[in-house]
Amino acid sequence: MHDLYAFVRGPLAWAAFGVFIGGSLYRLLHLLMLVHRKEKFIYSYMSWKYSLRSILHWMTPFAAVNMRMNRVLTVVTFAFHLGLILTPVLLLSHVLLWEESWGLSWWTLPDGVADVMTVIVIAGCGYFLVRRLAQPEVRYVTSASDYVILAIAAAPFVTGFLAYHQWFAYEILFILHILSGEIMLAAIPFTRLSHMLFAPFTRAYMGSEFGGVRHARDW
Amino acid sequence: MTESASKDKSKQLDEGLERGMAALTEAKIEKAINRVLTGETGARLKAYVETCIHCGLCSEACHYFLSHDRDPRYSPVGKVKQTLWEMLKKRGRVSPEFIKQARLISSTQCNLCKRCAMYCPFGIDVAYLMLVVRRICHLLGVTPRYIQDTAHSHSVNMNQMWVKEDEWIDTLQWQEDEARGDLPNLRIPLEKEGAEIMYSVIGPEPKFQAQLIYQAAVIMNVAGLDWTMPATPGWDNSDMAMFTGDNELMGRLKRVHFETAMRLKVKKIVMGECGHAFRSVYDVGNRWLGWRMPPIPIVHAIDFYYDLLKTGRLKVAKKFEEPVTLHDPCNVVRGGGLADKARYVVNALCENFIEMHPNREHNICCCAGGGVINAGPPYKMVRIEGNRVKAEQLFAVKAKGATVLITPCHNCHSGLEDINHHYHIGFEIKFLGDILYEVIEKPAG
Amino acid sequence: MKRWALAPVLALASLWLWAPGFSQEDMTAVDASPFERPQRAPALFKHDAHNEKAGIDACNECHHVHRDGKKVEDESSEGERCADCHGRMTQGRVPSLTIAFHTNCKGCHLEQQKGPVMCGQCHVWRPIKAGAAAE
Repeated sequence: MHDLYAFVRGPLAWAAFGVFIGGSLYRLLHLLMLVHRKEKFIYSYMSWKYSLRSILHWMTPFAAVNMRMNRVLTVVTFAFHLGLILTPVLLLSHVLLWEESWGLSWWTLPDGVADVMTVIVIAGCGYFLVRRLAQPEVRYVTSASDYVILAIAAAPFVTGFLAYHQWFAYEILFILHILSGEIMLAAIPFTRLSHMLFAPFTRAYMGSEFGGVRHARDW
Repeated sequence: MTESASKDKSKQLDEGLERGMAALTEAKIEKAINRVLTGETGARLKAYVETCIHCGLCSEACHYFLSHDRDPRYSPVGKVKQTLWEMLKKRGRVSPEFIKQARLISSTQCNLCKRCAMYCPFGIDVAYLMLVVRRICHLLGVTPRYIQDTAHSHSVNMNQMWVKEDEWIDTLQWQEDEARGDLPNLRIPLEKEGAEIMYSVIGPEPKFQAQLIYQAAVIMNVAGLDWTMPATPGWDNSDMAMFTGDNELMGRLKRVHFETAMRLKVKKIVMGECGHAFRSVYDVGNRWLGWRMPPIPIVHAIDFYYDLLKTGRLKVAKKFEEPVTLHDPCNVVRGGGLADKARYVVNALCENFIEMHPNREHNICCCAGGGVINAGPPYKMVRIEGNRVKAEQLFAVKAKGATVLITPCHNCHSGLEDINHHYHIGFEIKFLGDILYEVIEKPAG
Repeated sequence: MKRWALAPVLALASLWLWAPGFSQEDMTAVDASPFERPQRAPALFKHDAHNEKAGIDACNECHHVHRDGKKVEDESSEGERCADCHGRMTQGRVPSLTIAFHTNCKGCHLEQQKGPVMCGQCHVWRPIKAGAAAE
């Protein structure tokens, strides 16, 4: 177990962060280069003002018409994404690992709050799964990869939750938790989880087109 | 294999599709698809396809989807799945039948209205993706016959309706004659170099809506404007090539149009109440030619009327009394931000204005735009059945008392006429210009 | 629930509360009293059993004294509380109490490839059931 622990905590963690950061940079650069090579005109339409206007509107719950039309989904999706990003970043045990390895530390969530957020993320995954299966227009455009990325996102939280509460086989869950977190990190640039990277750009572009050219709202 | 909903709907054969399809081989298809998907497109296509999380939230935006009882095949993303996703997945190795279906989906089940871009959390532009599909089908020669015919006319005459040069001049002189009944000294100045305004219209106006030119001439003369119309090809601002996927032809058209205005040394182009033409000269065609914004200011009729009323160059003698409602055309409201100005004009002209809901950027499309009505009679019912929600929206505003439906767009006009008629809604449909012409103070003739 | 059923729970709780007061032979967990709001259960630690098993004789193996960033070999600090030096936050080269504990225990365990290294192996919520893990 010591070897395994040392492996997932050491080289594999390096690899996961490397793939995540390097891969993300690669994907973003590749996209920007593609813009540069073939759609340079996009630069001339980009506007900070309208990009931010659009991004902020779509980051504010219920600020867009479609969010008001799908109230439950809006609540779930905001809670889910907040939990998905904030919980791992602000979790005490994670920050301690950073401090032990790098001497870096920052404010952390009380474990009880993090626990609730974890449950919210897991429940959110469940909601998305049910929605995918039950809503015809979602089911129609669902492919196997959609279930895979949902599982990739859910796994670190399910294993983390079980490990935190020390239910079932603790040691195995602990290792699985680290492993699934690393899989998720590495998967972000190379699956459609990359919407995390690209969404600000697609949003900014549409915001700029709507604001600068079309003089209309895009929310 | 995906099966399009249109298969069972349009029983009439479309020669343009059938003959186009018959001439296809798998090798040709693969070549054309890859030419577009790897050659002509770039970051946008890639980002849109790879960012889409398949959430289906765009569905709520689409009138086809809503009108077909939420049939997922009609949702924006559903249409992308049936077309682009397959092409990408199979790297272009799709059948001729698939191309025909892709053409039907992209050209008769999507109006490129971009409402879905406002409902997608990522701002994915499905209209753009449908245009990419249209482009592929165009390169393969699979295009509905009627709209291809208008594109041919564009190519030959630089106008949409096979109007010959002498017929054009003749029509203008005829309308000048007619309008002198209203204003004895009225002129439609042809080829006046250095005029402030070049007035441009779409091909169908001289062809079968010449009274619109008459009205415009009266408005120009009453307002005392320095204007002109060209006597040469280049007068038509319409653009069916933009909708078939024939970008090269679109470029030729817009170039002639802009160059005509340059030749006449006018300060701006004022255009009639047309939506798609505005899209072509203001947003799409100019870009193809390398102009970030149009090389010469483009003033849509709404904006033009707004200015004339606001500055008092036109005065309203007696406001239009019947209760009116306003349909916001996608190309000038979602595409040009003219919602407020349109309301100013309507309120200036009419006693009683009743809003329909949703409205402004969120208005439901007429289902005629994006070249769908131009795909011709085989698809009339596709448009009408594909827009039941528009009928519901119109019934609701009628229940509030509106009897006249104003829409400042040709396509909207024709599309709404069909819906109005089919669903027995009972609106009288008017252009802003119709009412403006009717209510302004005119010097005694 | 019958009242007598509470007895073992209370006994256990009091054991925890009083743990620091007990002599080292009876110690079952690390003294968590300096932590204002501990997020985890105190780390299980049986002092004598651990040292016997690990073969540790020198007190300053753990109860170290650092001066100018260097461990002073012949001094030890078993008379003091860890919290006397290690505060809530890391200060300069003196790690916070949490980090000091982690480095002291886990660091050695990793070096020796023996003993618990995962959070929940020491911070056990239900020590009776999982107590064996700490040994």
